[in-house]
Amino acid sequence: MIRMEIALILVLVFVSFIYFSAGRRNTPLHKAFSALLAIAPLNLVFDAATVYTVNHLETVSPVLNEILHRLFIASMVLVVYLFYKYISILVEEETKKPLRFHLAAKIYLVAAELGAMLLPIHYAVTAKGNYSDGIHVSVCYISTAFYLLLCLWLLFKYRSQIDRKKKAAIGVALVIEAIVSLLQAINPTWLISGMGITLMTLAFYLTLENPDILRAELTEQKMSMLYLKSQVNPHFLYNTLDTIRIQAQLNNDKPTADLLMRLSDFFRLSIKTDKQMTALEDETELSEAYMELMCCRYPELEYNFDFDPDLADILVPNFILQPILENSLLHGMKNKGYRGKVTVTAKKFNNKQDCIEIEVSDTGSGFGKGVKDKIDEILLHFDKEKAKTESIGILNVQKRIKLLCGKEFGLSYTENEDGGVTAHIRLPLVREEYR
Amino acid sequence: MRKLKVLLVDDEIMIREGFKRLFDWESHGCEVIGEASDGMEALGQIDALLPDIVIMDINIPVMNGLKVIEVSRVKHPKIAYVIVSGYDDFAYCRKALRLQITDYILKPVNYEEFGSCIDNLKISMYENKASAQQDFEKNDERVISSITRYMQEHLSEEISLSVLADEFHLNPQYISQLFKSEIGVGFLAYLTNIRIEKAKKLLLSTALSVTETATRAGYSDYRVFTKVFKKAEGITPSQFRREFLSRDKQDM
Repeated sequence: MIRMEIALILVLVFVSFIYFSAGRRNTPLHKAFSALLAIAPLNLVFDAATVYTVNHLETVSPVLNEILHRLFIASMVLVVYLFYKYISILVEEETKKPLRFHLAAKIYLVAAELGAMLLPIHYAVTAKGNYSDGIHVSVCYISTAFYLLLCLWLLFKYRSQIDRKKKAAIGVALVIEAIVSLLQAINPTWLISGMGITLMTLAFYLTLENPDILRAELTEQKMSMLYLKSQVNPHFLYNTLDTIRIQAQLNNDKPTADLLMRLSDFFRLSIKTDKQMTALEDETELSEAYMELMCCRYPELEYNFDFDPDLADILVPNFILQPILENSLLHGMKNKGYRGKVTVTAKKFNNKQDCIEIEVSDTGSGFGKGVKDKIDEILLHFDKEKAKTESIGILNVQKRIKLLCGKEFGLSYTENEDGGVTAHIRLPLVREEYR
Repeated sequence: MRKLKVLLVDDEIMIREGFKRLFDWESHGCEVIGEASDGMEALGQIDALLPDIVIMDINIPVMNGLKVIEVSRVKHPKIAYVIVSGYDDFAYCRKALRLQITDYILKPVNYEEFGSCIDNLKISMYENKASAQQDFEKNDERVISSITRYMQEHLSEEISLSVLADEFHLNPQYISQLFKSEIGVGFLAYLTNIRIEKAKKLLLSTALSVTETATRAGYSDYRVFTKVFKKAEGITPSQFRREFLSRDKQDM
C-alpha cells in the first residue's frame, strides 16, 4: 500500500513542478489551486505514514501514531475544503456573483479541524489489515460528503451559466472523488483516500489549469500589447501631426509647417522599422529627417550626407545609422554647445569590392580620457556586455550587425586628427533581388 | 484653355481645407467647384457637377475611393483622378495606375509641389486626345502634336526650345506659347514629365541600373535625375522600383 502512496506523491510533486515553473497569474483561482498543490502532497505523506503505523501498532509508539492520524485527518479535511474553494471561485468567475456559502463552509472547516484534533481515536484490527474507525474518522467522511454536496449543489444551481468545458471538468472531479470515497467507506482496509485526491487534482490540472493554456493566454496578451504599441499609436501620432501641419500652414506659419512635415516623415519612416533589413536609402532618409530636425533645434549644427547613389538599394540592418548620429550629437556635439558638423559618407570599401563602409564623422569634443578604450572594449566583447544605459545604442547596433551580417562586419570608432570622432560601419554589399 | 473644374474628396476637413487654400489653383488654370467627405457623396457630386478632375482620398467612409472611381468611370470616362494615398497603401496605387488618366500623390501632401501633379493630368489628357484624333482642325494642334512626337522619339538626347526651334524652323517663344495654350503646361514641365514617365517604365520593365535609366531618359547626371524624380514622385527611383516590384512579388 505504501508503494501506491509514494507513486501518488511523485505524481503530485511532478504536477506542482510543472505548474509552478510556468508563469503564474495573481488571481484568486490560481492562488486556490496553488494552495491545493501545496497541501495535497502533504496529506499524501501523512497518509503514507499512517498506513505504515496503523499496521505496526505494536512497534510504533501510540503517541506518534495518534499525532500522525490527527494530522492526516486534519489535512484531508483541508484538502477537501480547498477543492470546494477552488470550485466555488470557478463558479463565481463564471456567474460574476459572490456566493453565500463561504461563511458556512469556513465555520464547518473550523469545526471539522477541531474534531480532527480532539475527538478520540479508535483502531480496528482485522485480518485484512488495520484501520482507524469510530467518531474521529467519521469527521473525514462527513467533511467529504459535506463539501461534495455543496459543490454538486453549486454545479446544479448554476448549470446554465457555467462554461461547458468547466462544467465537465468539475463534474468528472466530483464523480471520481465520490466513487473513491464510497469504495473507501465500504472497504475500510483499502485506505485509498490519497488516490481520490490525486485523481481529482489531476483532473483539474489537465483540463483547466494546464500551463500550456496559461502560457498561450499570456503570449496573446503580450502580443496585443505589442500590437497596440507598434501599430495604433504611431499612425495616430503621424496623422495628427499632419493635421496640425496643415493648420499651421493655413495660419501662414510655413516654418512650423515644414518642421512638422519633417517630424511626420521621421515617424512614417520609423513605423517601417519592423523589417530586419532595409535599403540604405531608407535608412539615410530617416537619418536625414532626424538631423534636419536637430539642426532646427540647434541652428549652428550642420550636417552633410554624401552617398554613392549606386549604393542606394544596398541592404543594411534596419535602424543602425540614427543611433550612431544620436550618439555623435549627445556625446560629441553637446559638449561644444551643438556647434559643428556631422558628415555621413558611404562608399565601397577600398580593397574589397563586396564590402561597404559608412562613416559618421563629427567635429565634436572627441573621446574623454579612457573613454575610447572603454568603447573599444564594449564593441569587441559585444556578446558578453550587459547593456548599460550610456552605451546601449551602439551596443545594439553592433549586436545587430554581427547577427545579421556576420562576425567580420561591424562598428568601430577612431579619433580624428583635428578633434571629434569617426564611426566606421562595415557591411556586406548585398542587394535586394527584384526578379 | 478653359478652366478645369476640380472636386475634392477626403473625409478629413483639414486636408480638404489644405487643398482648397494652400494650393494656387488659379495660376494652374483650375477652380475648386465642390467637396465630398464620403464615397456616396462623391458619386452624387460627380454626377451633379461633372468635374474635370477629382482629387480622391482612398480611405473614405461608406465606399472606398477606388470603388468610386470604378463606378463613375463607366458614366464619365473623361474625368481625370488624382489618388491621395498613405505610404502604407502603396499597393492601391498600383491598381490605380492601371486605370486611365490617373495620377497619385502620397500623404503627407506637399501643397507647393502639387502643381506638378496637375501638370501631369493635363499632359495625359492632352495625350489621350492626341492619340484619339487623327486629323487636326487647327494648325496649332498639328504643330504641337508633331513637336511632342519628336520629343518622345528623341528623349535620350538633349532637348531644348532652341533645338526644337531649329528642327521645326519656328520661333522658340512661339513654341513655348504653344505648350501653354494647347496642353496647358510649360515646355519644361512637359519635358520633365515625359522623361520621368519613360524612366518609370524602364525601372519597372527592365533591370537597368538607375544610372543607365537616367541616361536613357535624357539625364546625363544621375544625381539630377534622382532629385527630379524624387520631387515628382515623392520617392527615389530605386524606392519606386522596390515598392512596386516587391508588392508584385508578394501578390504572387
